[in-house]
Amino acid sequence: MKTYLLRRALAIIPVMLVVATVSFVLIRLAPGDPASVLAGPDATTEDLAQLRTALGMDQPLPVQLVKWYARLAQGDLGQSIFLRRPVVQAVVERLEPTLLLTLWGTVLSILIGVPAGIVSARYHNTAVDQSFMALALLGLSIPNFLLGLLMILVFGVWLGWLPVSGYVPLDEGVWRNLRSLLMPAVSLGLVQSALVARITRSSMLDVLREQYILSSRAKGLSERAVVYKHALKNAIIPTLTVIGITVALLIGGAVIIETVFNIPGVGRLIISAVLRRDYPVVQGVVLLIALTYTVINLLVDLAYLVIDPRIRYTG
Amino acid sequence: MTTGKSWIACVPAAVLVVLLTGGAPAQEAPRFGGVLQAAMIGEPPTLDTHTTTATIAYQVGWHMFESLYTLDKNYAPIPMLAESHTVTDGGRRYTIALRKGVRFHNGKELTAADALASVSRWGRLHTTGKTVWKIVEAAEAKDPHTLVIHLKEPSGSLLYALASPYLAIYPKSVADAAGDAPIKEYVGTGPFRFVEHKPDRHIKVARFKEYAARPEAPNGVGGKRIAYVDEILFMPVPDVAVRLAGIEAGEYHFAQSPKQDQYDRLKANPRLGLDIVKLGAWITAAPNHKEGVMSNKKVRQAMQAVLDMEPIMSAAVGHKAFYRLDGALYFPEQALWHSPTGVTGYNLRNKDRARALLREAGYSGQPVRWITTKEYEYMYNSALVARQQMEEVGFKVDLQVLDWATLVQRRGKPDLWDIFTTGITFSPDPALTSNLQCNWPGWWCHEEKERLLGELVRESDPKKRRAIVERIQAVFYEDVGRIKMGDFFSLLITRDLKGFEPSPFLHFWNAGIVK
Repeated sequence: MKTYLLRRALAIIPVMLVVATVSFVLIRLAPGDPASVLAGPDATTEDLAQLRTALGMDQPLPVQLVKWYARLAQGDLGQSIFLRRPVVQAVVERLEPTLLLTLWGTVLSILIGVPAGIVSARYHNTAVDQSFMALALLGLSIPNFLLGLLMILVFGVWLGWLPVSGYVPLDEGVWRNLRSLLMPAVSLGLVQSALVARITRSSMLDVLREQYILSSRAKGLSERAVVYKHALKNAIIPTLTVIGITVALLIGGAVIIETVFNIPGVGRLIISAVLRRDYPVVQGVVLLIALTYTVINLLVDLAYLVIDPRIRYTG
Repeated sequence: MTTGKSWIACVPAAVLVVLLTGGAPAQEAPRFGGVLQAAMIGEPPTLDTHTTTATIAYQVGWHMFESLYTLDKNYAPIPMLAESHTVTDGGRRYTIALRKGVRFHNGKELTAADALASVSRWGRLHTTGKTVWKIVEAAEAKDPHTLVIHLKEPSGSLLYALASPYLAIYPKSVADAAGDAPIKEYVGTGPFRFVEHKPDRHIKVARFKEYAARPEAPNGVGGKRIAYVDEILFMPVPDVAVRLAGIEAGEYHFAQSPKQDQYDRLKANPRLGLDIVKLGAWITAAPNHKEGVMSNKKVRQAMQAVLDMEPIMSAAVGHKAFYRLDGALYFPEQALWHSPTGVTGYNLRNKDRARALLREAGYSGQPVRWITTKEYEYMYNSALVARQQMEEVGFKVDLQVLDWATLVQRRGKPDLWDIFTTGITFSPDPALTSNLQCNWPGWWCHEEKERLLGELVRESDPKKRRAIVERIQAVFYEDVGRIKMGDFFSLLITRDLKGFEPSPFLHFWNAGIVK
């Protein structure tokens, strides 16, 4: 087990190295650079050259790349060009809304998706099942930004129940914070819950056809006990994998949703960093997101151990 | 008879006056207090306006920083931090007296040393500043309240340059500490002081209690500036739909650059204030004078001859209330420079002449490489309609759609294109109009025009300058320096604001919140 953990942890390093290199190269392949954004549309080529020198961007790319590796090795993600603070600090400042958004999105997708999947499986091929699955199909087909915009129109503009956009930090009141996150979390979570529901349903259906379910029914257990005690525990593993992926997807979705709802989270940070060509921030955030993904993967793999005692990892 | 006629002519004018002043509430002063929330198109790249040409930088920045001069309602320079000036030595020596008792947000009094440090830094770093500084021989702080600028030759442009909203006057300590890098402390003399910048959330400014306002009534962006609101939040809201939804829901008091096609729908909402700012920009197709097929004057004239601007502008802008067909190089709102004289080749719609010119030019179907972008819809749409019109008389147009950043990169290389589209924004001083310069992409270098531009820089009498502008217009159309398609306007939306002055120079001083 220890060897397994160590091996998995070490495997993160080459992944990060690839991500670091790719993000470094990709953002520089895009036309434009921080100097042209800073200097504005009417700046002349001489102005740009002057600014590039001031920003230390006149060095050849390989030199800059090696410097970036060297700083990374020391755990330094560099300084943001526009925000005038270290990248790590910029990310930490933006973590709260993104974490809460992802958290509520995940909670919603589980709270809606898992019960819907179970009920559909239990009432397989009935009107209940079909209407749930039709809803799930609809949910999977709606892009989350569209759902977000529709909700803004209905609950924000027409009814005026919820704020149209913006974010209220936790320390300005839990209730106000929840209100500002409700629509974004729903538009993220609802779409993901459709995926969770479909996976839960199909894996429940598989399990419900197993022999041991037949025997538990035969020995006279209540349907409740069969479904929730015996079947669910085994059926939940694929769902767990999907929830793991969902969390990762939600981080991606947060990039869009944060823009739609004007939430100053990590997603907005990376979008504006790309638009401003704030190279250090783009590289840093991409690296941190990649790290989050790999860690979540690892955690999901470890969670199997807890849920299914038959699974064992060996070195 | 004549007196009778003019008397009759006075009636509508009098009615107009009554109607205008009849909007009596507008005369009442706005009340103090409240937090003004402005939904902006994005985040300024920097608040140090010496180092950028991005409009949004001064739109936020000049609530905190002021310049020596500013622009009146006719877009002519008037003193701001300056009190007055005298010109001696045949127009080569400007002695500028600064206002006394003006305090920076850090409590220190404004002196000529501060003005000198900022003006020199702007002249060293800013794109316009550098152009103007070429004619400056030396600048010095003669005494604590007098700044002297010596020019190499007389110039009508200096005061316009000193009125640039980008020319912020910082304390000398701030300017010196920053050097060529962006400033680290935001300290100015403006009616609002910097409070905080939370990236992607807001830039917060608050009323500066010791602000020394000018005594004169507001005039253009000059005169008395009053901070009615306690605070302004400049919030970056990049999504246009969200800005619009927010102002409709009452979350913002101002939404920047909504889409014009929403105009009719928004007009129905009585709580919103809609203003069309006519002084904005004109759409141009800039031919490449240096290389390729458009370097042939007859080919350029053929293009000029065929274009029908109404369908082009209609496709480009969409709503009729937001464009105007006018061939002059300056806007009708710029009374000082606008003139129809010399506008000889605008909107000709003459296919036969175009065909004849193409024949004379010996044009044999070489593709005209037109680079444009969909990032600004008007650029692509105008090019599309123009191409169709040009192809009807025998042009072959190769329309290449690029992203804006790539277009800007490519337009600097003469071998890559024949025409590109862009918008020419309004410039208060004709001599500082960047798109008429010889080094601007398109490389329109013309002996007579260069001579006239040189005269324009040196001349300071507005009447003589206007005559030069008219002669430049004539050359512009005869040589087809660029193709002007038409003026387009922008829309401003406000909600519950009083005293807000719709202006091409966005500002929130003198505006208060109703309710």
